[in-house]
Amino acid sequence: MSNAVSLDQVGPVPTERSSAVPWYLYALAVGSTSIIVGAIWDISWHSTIGRDTFWTPAHLAMYLGGILGGLSSGWLALKTTFAGSAAERGASVPLWGFRAPLGAWVAIWGAIAMLTSAPFDDWWHNAYGLDVEVLSPPHTVLAAGILGIILGSLLLSLAWQNNGRGPGTGRVQVLFGYSAGVLIALFALLVMEYNAPNQQHASLFYQISCGLYPILLLAAARGSKLRWPATTAAAVYMLLIAAMLWILPLFPAEPLLGPIYNRVTHMVPPAFPLLLVIPAFGIDLLLRRATCKSDWVLAAAVGAVFFALFLAAQFFFSEFLLSPLSRNWFFGGDRIWSYDARPGPWRYQFWNQAQDPLSLRGLGLALLFSFLSARLGLAWGGWMARVKR
Amino acid sequence: MKRTLARLAFLIAIPFATWGHIGASTVFYHGNAGPYAIDVIVRPPGVVPGRAEVTVRVESPDVGRVTVQPVRWDAGTKGAPAPDLAQPVRGDATLRSAELWLMDFGSYSIHVAVEGTSGSGKAVVPVMSVATRRLGIDRGLGVLFAGLGLLLFVGALTILGAAAREAVLPPGEVPDAARRARGRRVIAGSALVLALVLAGGRAWWNSVDARYRANMFRPLHITTGVRSVASQRVLHLAIDDPRWLAQEPGRNRFSPLVPDHGKLMHMFLVREPALDAFAHLHPLRLDPNTFDVRLPPLPAGRYVVYADVTHESGYAQTLTDRVDVPEAPSTAAPGAAPEPDPDDSFHVAAALGGAASPAAPLADGIVMVWQQQEVVAGQPASLTFQVRGSDGRPAALEPYMGMLGHMAVRRDDGSVFAHIHPAGSFSMAARQVLERGADATTKPVDHSEHAAVAGGTVSFPFEFPQDGRYRLWVQVKVGDRILTAAFDADVAPKR
Repeated sequence: MSNAVSLDQVGPVPTERSSAVPWYLYALAVGSTSIIVGAIWDISWHSTIGRDTFWTPAHLAMYLGGILGGLSSGWLALKTTFAGSAAERGASVPLWGFRAPLGAWVAIWGAIAMLTSAPFDDWWHNAYGLDVEVLSPPHTVLAAGILGIILGSLLLSLAWQNNGRGPGTGRVQVLFGYSAGVLIALFALLVMEYNAPNQQHASLFYQISCGLYPILLLAAARGSKLRWPATTAAAVYMLLIAAMLWILPLFPAEPLLGPIYNRVTHMVPPAFPLLLVIPAFGIDLLLRRATCKSDWVLAAAVGAVFFALFLAAQFFFSEFLLSPLSRNWFFGGDRIWSYDARPGPWRYQFWNQAQDPLSLRGLGLALLFSFLSARLGLAWGGWMARVKR
Repeated sequence: MKRTLARLAFLIAIPFATWGHIGASTVFYHGNAGPYAIDVIVRPPGVVPGRAEVTVRVESPDVGRVTVQPVRWDAGTKGAPAPDLAQPVRGDATLRSAELWLMDFGSYSIHVAVEGTSGSGKAVVPVMSVATRRLGIDRGLGVLFAGLGLLLFVGALTILGAAAREAVLPPGEVPDAARRARGRRVIAGSALVLALVLAGGRAWWNSVDARYRANMFRPLHITTGVRSVASQRVLHLAIDDPRWLAQEPGRNRFSPLVPDHGKLMHMFLVREPALDAFAHLHPLRLDPNTFDVRLPPLPAGRYVVYADVTHESGYAQTLTDRVDVPEAPSTAAPGAAPEPDPDDSFHVAAALGGAASPAAPLADGIVMVWQQQEVVAGQPASLTFQVRGSDGRPAALEPYMGMLGHMAVRRDDGSVFAHIHPAGSFSMAARQVLERGADATTKPVDHSEHAAVAGGTVSFPFEFPQDGRYRLWVQVKVGDRILTAAFDADVAPKR
């Protein structure tokens, strides 16, 4: 099978493709959402019920999302390879004799990684005991697989967006913004052990956040053709987490494992999302008005804007989240503790204030990370803006 | 799939010990819950957190519901999850089983509640939640992991190369030499980065494994020695484990010791390699860390020391060491040896292999007969012994430290040692500690309040964990004398 496609085989690609949004873009978006919802649900399950099997609905939501993404992309690869039009073959990349858009390959890789993590995780539980930590080697393989599905979704909509001219393009742009938001949610979940409101007066939280979110927000901003791309992605992230925060506690549940120090009666929700829309809005505003040519200068400005706005927002908002004013269904204050969390004043205090206070050095490091992250985000976003396959 | 994987994975056997046990972690309970006679077997998971298998046998026909509930010592029933229904086992109307999750290290009790037309009752079975095993990866699983890992690794490189080579090319355009070279450079660079990531992953895995191994059960370290005092030999035992000595306030890993039938420590001595000399002693505590005991007239030689202790938490463990016992001193050394405990006893028999007869002579024509059945590894069994007087009739057994009998079991190579009572294989002190506030209506078979039991029969629930040659010492009290019999058993492999 030839990997090369000669130019004369290819027709007027963009016009042919822009007629309607292909179903697999929606399938990937639905799959990504199912995975993230499943992951948040699973964390809640472990915090509330504790006891689980492979067949909990939370696990099924994750694996069904992975299978949906993997099978849609697999179908796309087979169709492009064996029954694709010249245009479709032209807008694909070759891999081991097959052809498919880049995003499909990334999603297929993600699905295989997700499936690989299942027996690995099972062995891990048998060897070292049941889940004690979110971050373990098999969970990292799972997370890499999930990342593959979400990146695949992102890349497929990108290729369509960057080639498109027709009426469906707007919807695909929204799909891209949506996938970017799901991607932010995934990374926020991965570092959730450092994300509690109680940790938001210590330097480590700002260092991690400043290293992580600018790259994602700027990649979304540069890659997207939306008017407010970073804000859109941040809003999607916030709405996803907030929706789970509002929905999960509606379901009664009780711990099936002990020792129980916290008698929860309903599914434990995630903490209120980070207020990423605030720095994201600042980034969008800055990018719309910036005229400088150097990405290094731009990254310095954007990094500083993210750092300042994020610090201002989270510093005060976390105080609110620890206060009695937040103890309601909307903000979920003091409702995030799992069944094995002992009661005590520590729930209403900022942690690590002695070891890791907000120091000039700690915040300086965060600012540096913000700059580097922003620079990488600009580079990655610049590449994404040019992806055509 | 889990079952298959569990079968695929093999266990690396590591010697381990919990109370009264080296190499045998299964807990047996024989007693009653309210009006119901029950037998409980708990097979701890060997990993923490993990799932323990619990089986409950209730012979009574009027039983309705049987529930089991794991209770951690410091959280109590208030902090325990709702009880689980034990499900009837198909093909055996008297048997029920359940899986329980033990989430934390330390002392747990399984609360077994039985309801039926005769009323309801509850029994408390002590279980130690400790990590005792480490899982390896067998060939099949290794090949699967390696194959999938390689596929993902090569797949990732190929995708990254393709992305760098032509993702941004307009549709239909064939990558030129420069772009193909760029793709190759990205593959090489990514291979390096991914290899570093994998090396990091390997280091991470190793650190998790090292942490797990550090948390695996190790009994407290002890040092023993024998010295001459007056004309006696005195065995000195010191608990010198840093985990015991360096107790931090509020962070104690080990709570103080509590007495079991009035003794803080039950010590067994077994002479190696013949297993011919045996003693069951009760050392005197000198201070929280050291104990002394006067040795009975045992022959000199190298002995293994097994010292059973129970902590306030109900956590029970067997401390072990080896000690050289010299000949009894011919001249009196200065000092005063501690008085022997009235419940101390010892026994010298033929070397292992020489006690294969099911009938062992005790004293004055009294004989103990092992009503032997075939013993098979991995199968729960009731080991029954009858004591007959010189007239051939069953002797009346008196309680010996609250029990109708005590049995010690040791495999020839030392990989298995267990101390068992008719009530089961757990520490009675642990049960008493854990029963406090548990609202138990339980009673393991405990003959302490009986003056004597006619019939002369004593049974011990036990399961030989592996095949091989074992020696059993069975101790009873007849006519106010502690009598010990030794038996040898060849345990058949698992079927």
